[in-house]
Amino acid sequence: MITLTINDKEVTLEKPVSVLEAARQAGIKIPTLCYHEALKPYGGCRLCVVEVERMPKLQTACTLMAADGMVVKTESEGISKVRRGILEFLLINHPLDCPYCDKAGECELQDLVNKYGPTVGRYKEEKRKVPESHKDQIFARNMERCVVCTRCVRMCNDQQGASAISIMGRGNHSRMEPFSSDSFNCEYCGNCLTVCPVGAILSRLYMHSFRPWQVDNEVETICSYCGVGCSLVVQVRDESIKRVIPRTGLGVNRGLLCSRGRFGYEYINSQDRLTTPLVRKNGKLEQSTWSEALHIVAERLSGIKRTDGGSAIAGIGSPRCSNEDNYVFQKFIRMACGSNNIDSISRTGYAAAQKYFEELLGQGITTNLIEGLKNSEVIFVVGGDPTAVNPILGLSIREASRRGAKIVVLGNAKGLDRFKTLQVVPPVFREMEVLEELLVGVSGVKGARGEKLDVDKGIRMLSDTYSGSMDIEGIEELKQTLLNSPSTSIVFGMDLVQRANGHRAVFAIAGLTYLLEARLYLLSDRPNEQGLIDAGCVPDMLPGGRPLDIHDFKRKFETEWGGPIPEEDGKTLFEIIEGARNKSVKALYIMGDNPVFNLPDAQYIKEALQALDFLVVQDLFLSETAQLADVVLPALGWTEKTGTYTNLERRIQLQKKAVNAGSGMEDWKIISEVSGKMGYKMAYSDAEDIMDEIAKVSPLYRDLTYREISKGNCLWPYHGEPLRGEIHELPAMVDAASDFRADFYLALEKPLFHSGTLSRRSPALMKICPEPTLKINGAAARKLGLHEGNRVQVTTAAGSSEVPVSIDDTIKDNKVLLSNNFEGQGLFSLLTYTLDPVTKAPGIEGCEVRLIKI
Amino acid sequence: MEEIKRSGLRGRGGAGFPTGMKWSFAKADPKFPKYLLCNADEGEPGTFKDRPILEKNPHLLIEGMVISGYVLGSEYGYIYLRGEYPAAADILNAAIKQAYEANYLGDNINGKGVKFHLAVHQGAGAYICGEETALIESIEGKKGQPRNKPPFPVNVGAWSMPTIVNNVETLSNLPYIIEIGGEAYSNIGSKECPGPKLFCVSGHVKKPGVYELPMGTNLKDIIYIHAGGIRDGGKLKAVIPGGISTPVLPADAIDCAMDFVAMPKAGSMLGSGAVIVMDDSVCMVRVAYRALKFFEHESCGKCVPCREGTDWLRKVLARVEKGKGKDGDIELLSDIAEIMMGRTFCPLGDGAAGVVMGMIKHFKNEFEEHIKNGRCALSC
Repeated sequence: MITLTINDKEVTLEKPVSVLEAARQAGIKIPTLCYHEALKPYGGCRLCVVEVERMPKLQTACTLMAADGMVVKTESEGISKVRRGILEFLLINHPLDCPYCDKAGECELQDLVNKYGPTVGRYKEEKRKVPESHKDQIFARNMERCVVCTRCVRMCNDQQGASAISIMGRGNHSRMEPFSSDSFNCEYCGNCLTVCPVGAILSRLYMHSFRPWQVDNEVETICSYCGVGCSLVVQVRDESIKRVIPRTGLGVNRGLLCSRGRFGYEYINSQDRLTTPLVRKNGKLEQSTWSEALHIVAERLSGIKRTDGGSAIAGIGSPRCSNEDNYVFQKFIRMACGSNNIDSISRTGYAAAQKYFEELLGQGITTNLIEGLKNSEVIFVVGGDPTAVNPILGLSIREASRRGAKIVVLGNAKGLDRFKTLQVVPPVFREMEVLEELLVGVSGVKGARGEKLDVDKGIRMLSDTYSGSMDIEGIEELKQTLLNSPSTSIVFGMDLVQRANGHRAVFAIAGLTYLLEARLYLLSDRPNEQGLIDAGCVPDMLPGGRPLDIHDFKRKFETEWGGPIPEEDGKTLFEIIEGARNKSVKALYIMGDNPVFNLPDAQYIKEALQALDFLVVQDLFLSETAQLADVVLPALGWTEKTGTYTNLERRIQLQKKAVNAGSGMEDWKIISEVSGKMGYKMAYSDAEDIMDEIAKVSPLYRDLTYREISKGNCLWPYHGEPLRGEIHELPAMVDAASDFRADFYLALEKPLFHSGTLSRRSPALMKICPEPTLKINGAAARKLGLHEGNRVQVTTAAGSSEVPVSIDDTIKDNKVLLSNNFEGQGLFSLLTYTLDPVTKAPGIEGCEVRLIKI
Repeated sequence: MEEIKRSGLRGRGGAGFPTGMKWSFAKADPKFPKYLLCNADEGEPGTFKDRPILEKNPHLLIEGMVISGYVLGSEYGYIYLRGEYPAAADILNAAIKQAYEANYLGDNINGKGVKFHLAVHQGAGAYICGEETALIESIEGKKGQPRNKPPFPVNVGAWSMPTIVNNVETLSNLPYIIEIGGEAYSNIGSKECPGPKLFCVSGHVKKPGVYELPMGTNLKDIIYIHAGGIRDGGKLKAVIPGGISTPVLPADAIDCAMDFVAMPKAGSMLGSGAVIVMDDSVCMVRVAYRALKFFEHESCGKCVPCREGTDWLRKVLARVEKGKGKDGDIELLSDIAEIMMGRTFCPLGDGAAGVVMGMIKHFKNEFEEHIKNGRCALSC
């Protein structure tokens, strides 16, 4: 215990902290400028000077550790004089352009000068002139306003780990500059904006468009982009979002944001938003009214149910919609349409993998705190770049690296290049074999764990059939690192799930997780992949992950829902697609998704949807899929409605309404209207009403209320009980993958700046990254005579696209990567797929590609 | 270690911290490896005392560093050499090569089981890198800016390991201490800061140069006896006794012993022992301006009072010196200096403020004349 006196007030500290923090705990505010609670103390601005008894000089409170018996004074005539002097120093070269500066009103310098500062300037000399830089598309940099507190640089280096900016020049010529000179070549997280105390770095997204005090409404909500679910604050003026800012210390992100979260909000104000329902008349989609559109939907679905039975109807839910939306949607498909054909795009990765993991190791195995990552001693990253898919989760890995953890990467994870301790890059499409070799090696040392007998059996089967070792550099070291680690986390991206026999990779990861007693994290690039599974938007499980084929569960839900749940097995996503092609599925209801764009082999998917008798699409935009629909219903999006989302660590969070949208209806509301017209009444007054029902019927969300969720710490299982795992199928042992000897194979890149449908309607993200690039190894590019930025024609069996080239030497030389986030240039239009027999996820490996320089 | 403590040796870089005490802190730290850094970033204007050692007797320094390494249990030493000393770099590197060849450096020095490796690191010209923590940042490959203390380098220094930073002259005293013993060494010079000291005398003296004299030699004697007095029949006006960062002494205040204890009492500091002698042809406003031009240029920019204060001081001084001063400028200069003094991150800003304060204190009339007459009385 440390006891000290600050301003005659006795302060007792639990643990050693700085005098500044001690004062804060005692409710005493000491002015600061270079200090930021998220950053290490710097001691540069000298504003936090305090008097300490028995110390000759004034001391800076941010760097001075509180000691027992210390007597501190934070305000005095002398201290005020120094603070006034320092502020005067800061103003001598400052342009004093507050009327023009966006920061005015929330500028720390302005506030400090207001409190302590000189009222009259004595500086008569020439001011330092540095022209404002607008060379970057997103950031405006004004180095005349800069106070060289270095908060931006420390944020960029120590928190974000991007190290993209620095203080150039010395002394009076110090200025913040990106290493890439005028425009930024960085991750565009914008976290430098958060910490800049003055108007030195500003966002150009809302430049000169409003003043901080003109904000009508400020809503604390969560992000709409990925499965981390970062907390953020939306500032609204005149029913439009002016700005998205994080709040220090808040939420899973603790005040950090990524480019998508911070700059990707503009899609919600897009001119392309649907404003009225559309109905296909004479082959063309025409504007219609809600009553007509809803009537047609109910009529047609009822008709098909009558003539072909419920199983001819299918539904595709959405990992972008809330728990409430998805819950109502699956209930509608099951109870009103009489079908278990319900699935989502999440089948392509997360839902497929998550289910198999839970079957093997028990419900909740993928549920681990993101925050816990930084305490791991070894983090094993497989199947994707966490810093691109789930950027804020990626930052936890970087943080762990700074704390001394070993970061071992299998495959490519560019964002971890400067943080990894070991990287093993196997030949193209052979990561799975490396995983199996690791599993066999680890089980050879650890033996059977004896807790999950079926998993032990599977590992034994694998070991028995295992022949010889792979000659790949680093495997042995990787194995030893995992074996010697006292605490391991495995971060598993979806790349390896999307392989022919992807379930083998999932089994290998499950086996390693089991034997190493590791924490398992699944990367999730959409905000509610976990939530839609928990809400029952899967063919074989009811809300709460209760298997449909267990009679007790089914009966319980039938009682709650007041009717029979169909007996027939439901179809998974790709079975629905096949069903559409072979006419066993006649009607499809798609809520908030764009399968033509988001699934591989776009042409094949398109043909399937065109073969349907009736297609309903509920969305924000007239997407590629909506264009094929018979009825299009405009929905509400992020910040326009309230609902809960469950992130990849199964944290249940509230997404709040912030603006009144002009048109459109909540997804759940549209569904319940249709349901009512079809004779199955759903009378929900609002989203909270739906959550009350979920809390009653779903064992995982038992007793959950919006009030509880608002407090922020609702983690799964909330008062509920998980199910123990049971295996349906052990992995089929397929022969090792064939050699891939073509010149080039095409694989999917998950970029940092884009997610797809939403991000490509966000002007800021389009400015940062306007088109996809083909990532190719430098040596391979030279052989083709390609240089950075050259355009290349990419041709596969399925199609062709033209994109610029970007060199990336971390990629194997016969593999090229292309993202799928842009209109008309998407990778998925070039890929065909095969289905994994166990997880029913699409395997998109072995896609040969021809590259021709244009 | 005991011999060093007994000798009473104090660091010759400027602060005069007892060397034995500093070493015992680093030695007590259980972390390894420990680093020994020689501060050869001799950048203080007026100072050229280390240069003769580096260029004329590099083996003395190498021997001193091997002894230190042995005492401290440090196996790696670096000489952080001022970037503007390219000749010294060649000489030091050649000497280090010779020492390796003669097995005075290496894994097993002279077969005694002592390991010590030494390398030269050339600075890039920043004055601030003479500050020990900025020197450490620089040697780690970062921008030369001072670090927060504590933790002190003796515990968390280069690459976060216990680190000793000693001046060239300090380390070069060690062979002599070991040779004659700490006791005998302590009898040389002043009682509280014993030993020989290199004084480098520059300016309007008949015989400028480096003089090795016992610590505590009278400043007057250094100027008039050793350096031969004022040249060309000039009259002494002022002396900066320890490099530009130490406050100026007017001609009538130079009867004082040059050591770390006596000089503060006389109103200045021993600093690096760089005696800058100025006769009555010198305009003190111009001296102040020149000094501030240096400090403004060399301020690292980390803390506000130094970064902005030196800039402001320089600009005002430039104006006054050119005869464009205004009423109130002297008070403004004093005010700026007063806010800076004691509030900067490292002593660089104190030095800058000290120059201005000292000049105004002793030569206020010259500032007043510049402002009143609109020109320098000495027409320089």
